[in-house]
Amino acid sequence: MTMTIQSSAPVRTAPKLRRKPKRSAFDTVLGRAVLQVLAIAVFFALWEIGVRAGYVSAFLMGSPSGIFAMFYKLILSGELLSDSWYTLFEAILGFIIGTIFGSLLGLALWYSVFVAKLVEPFIVAINSVPKIALAPIVVLWFGTGLISKVALAVSLTALVALIAAYQAAKDADVDLQSLMISMGADKHQIFFKAVVPSTLPSIIATFRINIGFGLVGAVVGEFISSQRGLGHMIFTASSLYDLDSVWVGLFTLMIMGFILYYVIDIIERTSLPWKQATTSHQVQV
Amino acid sequence: MPPTQTQLTVQNIRKSFPGKGGDVNVLDDLSFSINERDFVSIIGPSGCGKTTIFNIIAGLLEPDDGTITYRGQEIDSLRGRVGYMMQKDLLFPWRTVLGNVLLGLETRGVDPKEAEAKAREYLKQFGLAGFENAYPKMLSGGMRQRVALIRTLIMDPDILLLDEPFSALDYQTRLYLEGVLKDAVQTYNKTVILVTHDIDEAVALSKRVVVLSGRPARVKVVHEIDIDASSPVTARNDAKFSTYFKTLCAELDIQTEKT
Repeated sequence: MTMTIQSSAPVRTAPKLRRKPKRSAFDTVLGRAVLQVLAIAVFFALWEIGVRAGYVSAFLMGSPSGIFAMFYKLILSGELLSDSWYTLFEAILGFIIGTIFGSLLGLALWYSVFVAKLVEPFIVAINSVPKIALAPIVVLWFGTGLISKVALAVSLTALVALIAAYQAAKDADVDLQSLMISMGADKHQIFFKAVVPSTLPSIIATFRINIGFGLVGAVVGEFISSQRGLGHMIFTASSLYDLDSVWVGLFTLMIMGFILYYVIDIIERTSLPWKQATTSHQVQV
Repeated sequence: MPPTQTQLTVQNIRKSFPGKGGDVNVLDDLSFSINERDFVSIIGPSGCGKTTIFNIIAGLLEPDDGTITYRGQEIDSLRGRVGYMMQKDLLFPWRTVLGNVLLGLETRGVDPKEAEAKAREYLKQFGLAGFENAYPKMLSGGMRQRVALIRTLIMDPDILLLDEPFSALDYQTRLYLEGVLKDAVQTYNKTVILVTHDIDEAVALSKRVVVLSGRPARVKVVHEIDIDASSPVTARNDAKFSTYFKTLCAELDIQTEKT
């Protein structure tokens, strides 16, 4: 029997039979959005009714109508926007500095196993301190302005990034590194071409956690001592029993966190195109 | 034809690894030599240290003892001058096909424009034109291994070290890639050392087959394979093929192990 091998002729695999699962009428983007908005509306309606009927104390809980009125007022006065920008700025600045600083430090530890082993227990120890407990000292050191909030956000984010980057660098595929050594690559080339790219997914995955920590740092810093920001606004309003303003601050923080989450999501998806490459259009020999 | 000259000699190599019950001797006084433009397969029982030999030649491991001589000169290793190809394709997932092929040239500091032109030419030659910007994830196993082969060849290495490069592929793809390899080796005048546990593949591709004994590895016997075939597929139809195959099976004690 003679056998000939067709070289580059594409071999098509049979398309997979896909069973269409039964979907409810609401299981579309629009349908889900309708349900979600509806849920929010029902929640606020029940709250408002509870307040009006006297089941819920407006003094302790606030009321949706009061919140919306306050929201409107604070937007018009420009206070809400300026407080929001201030807090957002602190959070993002802290996030960026902390993540970059932490990641670089974590990656640098790859260079020396000796140093890495030496500092590992210290990193674990520092990480086990609830960083929020540092807030009073940070304010003492850096004052009541912007820097103390950023410093607090950095202290929260840097260690998360450091540990993730260091772990990812340690876990980088040894075979890829061996291959580069056999090609005659030096340590720097291996670091930049094999180690750093392979740690990027892990580092980017920390963005999601760290953007939240950035907000925590900014708000807690403002709680302790500040003249501006959403944390300051929430803190002063609650000491005055102005619950409507507290809710405005909280909901604004929520919206902020929500938007940041999706921004990070987009960054995550666009920065690693090779991860997105789908296997569904697999090409055959 | 010029007389066969020795290109690489490995002499009295010893290597042991620390194990649970003391050191494990993986290589004990191993010696063999490779001729210019040779195609040598190394076969032996699994775990006998075939990969260790490669790692020593490639400079990934240091031998405890022994010498490596390359074209008459004693050297530490052939680091940077070998093309190492393993069972895993080891393509960098974040690099495109083109980027992967360029890896070695970048490492060497070749001018980027020159390197890219060369890479595109190689890809075209191996039927991968049009896939330059694809990520490895999108390719089939056979295509990935072809990219790995191009990445190896484009470096113009002195010796190709192939460590079971096709063993993860299905038979049809393997036959095809064996053909690609054999053609490429002839086109680019390369010396190849192939580690395999596929006796069939060893006979079909090689000029010589080195049989190693179990751990610690020693050269048991070297067989000259005298099959003059144009491709690995036709080699398998050669009259002498099955004789070699049976002899090598016997050398590896495959018969005795079964009974």
